[in-house]
Amino acid sequence: MAVLEKLVDPTGFDRRAGDATLTPRPPSLRGLTVGLLDNTKANAGPLLSEIAAELRRSYGIGATREYAKDYFGTPVKDELLKRIADECDVVITAVGDCGSCSAATVADGILFERAGVPAVSIVSDSFLMSGRAMAKVQGFPGFAFLAVRHPVASLDTEQIRERARDAVPDLVRILGVEG
Amino acid sequence: MADVSTAVTDTDVRAGAGEPPLVDGAEIRRVIEYYYQQDWTDGLPVVPVTESYLAEFLARTSLEPDAVLLAMPHLNRACTVRLAAANAAMAGCLPEYFPVVVAAWEVLALDPYPRTGIWQSTTGTAPVTIVNGPVRNEIGLNSRGNIFGSGFRANATIGRAIRLGALNIFGIHPHLLDQATQATPAKYTCCIAENEEESPWEPLHVEHGLDAADSAVTGTVIRSCMHIEARHTHVPEQLALDITNSITRTGALIHEFSSALLVLSPEHAHVFASAGWSKDDIRRFIHEHAVHSRAQLAAVGKDAISRQTHWRLPADHPDAIPDRASAGEDPDRVPMLLSPDAVQIVVAGANNAGVSAIMEVFGPRDSALPMVKIRDLPPRGN
Repeated sequence: MAVLEKLVDPTGFDRRAGDATLTPRPPSLRGLTVGLLDNTKANAGPLLSEIAAELRRSYGIGATREYAKDYFGTPVKDELLKRIADECDVVITAVGDCGSCSAATVADGILFERAGVPAVSIVSDSFLMSGRAMAKVQGFPGFAFLAVRHPVASLDTEQIRERARDAVPDLVRILGVEG
Repeated sequence: MADVSTAVTDTDVRAGAGEPPLVDGAEIRRVIEYYYQQDWTDGLPVVPVTESYLAEFLARTSLEPDAVLLAMPHLNRACTVRLAAANAAMAGCLPEYFPVVVAAWEVLALDPYPRTGIWQSTTGTAPVTIVNGPVRNEIGLNSRGNIFGSGFRANATIGRAIRLGALNIFGIHPHLLDQATQATPAKYTCCIAENEEESPWEPLHVEHGLDAADSAVTGTVIRSCMHIEARHTHVPEQLALDITNSITRTGALIHEFSSALLVLSPEHAHVFASAGWSKDDIRRFIHEHAVHSRAQLAAVGKDAISRQTHWRLPADHPDAIPDRASAGEDPDRVPMLLSPDAVQIVVAGANNAGVSAIMEVFGPRDSALPMVKIRDLPPRGN
């Protein structure tokens, strides 16, 4: 006599619902303090600086504050997360241009949103799928992040400036501001 | 070990005795395809697993089913004993292999890389499991010939159990969270056993303080497995330099320093041992000779390191800072290994040729590889 049994689910999928709500957006970036979180990958710092310069010129942002992660492959540590959330109005983090750091950069953006800071995560477009998969793992499927053209690490100063200019319209859209 | 009473466990099933069984072919197809539809395979079919079969695996460990073997907080996921068992069973392991699988996960938790995202990396590393001690022969692990090849259930399925876990438990699927550019064939499975019987030295686990009667798993992650041919030398220095040349190849350099797991065939091990060399002698020799000139590194664009990641890059790169050797007595002489411990040595393979291998590990660069004693093995002779 056959005994019928269900097949076992071998996945570690966490079915707890995540908080998939964006932090309320500011009406404008004018005068806001912008956090720039460098994940230490090559050209992340220059890309963030160029974006900040463009935001200052075109959108009148206030001060910028620079931060660096101690390891690019995993999300920002609690202590730094809290410090940035305390000190900044919005945060931009870059650059997810490898397997682990693309996912970690997207996770960072989600962590900032949950800590009450509007955030833009920047990855290179070769890692779009990794970023999306991480958003799903974090319980925030559909989380909007910015994919700039790959590569980033090997660009010179002028090319970085161009990437930054190209990135700003989408970045402003993700931050939900008009001007 | 207590017997586990279930609907499917009995010696007849194991023996495969008698006429070929009559089966419901459509149902078998349906079950196999179900696993594919769920995306619960590595591309090869898996063994269907029910609660009663899972219970046979869980009965082989003293750990609670919810005990965590390896956590990846950044993915909000953890490998529990239960999930490790489910994936081991799906991989084709027998329940008696499960203590080895548990130890393999515990070892990976001791390596700094797996828990911090290395399986998402473009580098594309695979877990490697090395087994020592009596359990090798008790469960039929192959250590003597074709060690990286196919054909041995224990090797094939224990290695696969870990990889299925990476896919299913942690959700690190290729093209999604797994962004490996090319990866390595070892990502299907990679489990070897030391050929202790034909090694001139004490086994790896005894070298690291365990008893010969203990069984142990050593592990890390590897980028590739490189073949060495040196069939005609009996001079240990020649053989050691040939090996050193491969360990220091510039293509392997991503960090400032490198590391290697040297898998010596018994024949090569005896070239060294019969000249009176210990494993430490080999390690020290390789460490001392694993050196590039500054010009050699400049020629391939790896003569400096990145300010922040410390990855090697050309000296004219905007992120470049000098490597450690630049500040030393002889800046033109750049050591590739931080310490003799960056080379770990195990003996495996057939005793039939001067052929060895270097597993290009991505793990520790200045210490031995993590090792765990396997718990819950049945008393010897059972």
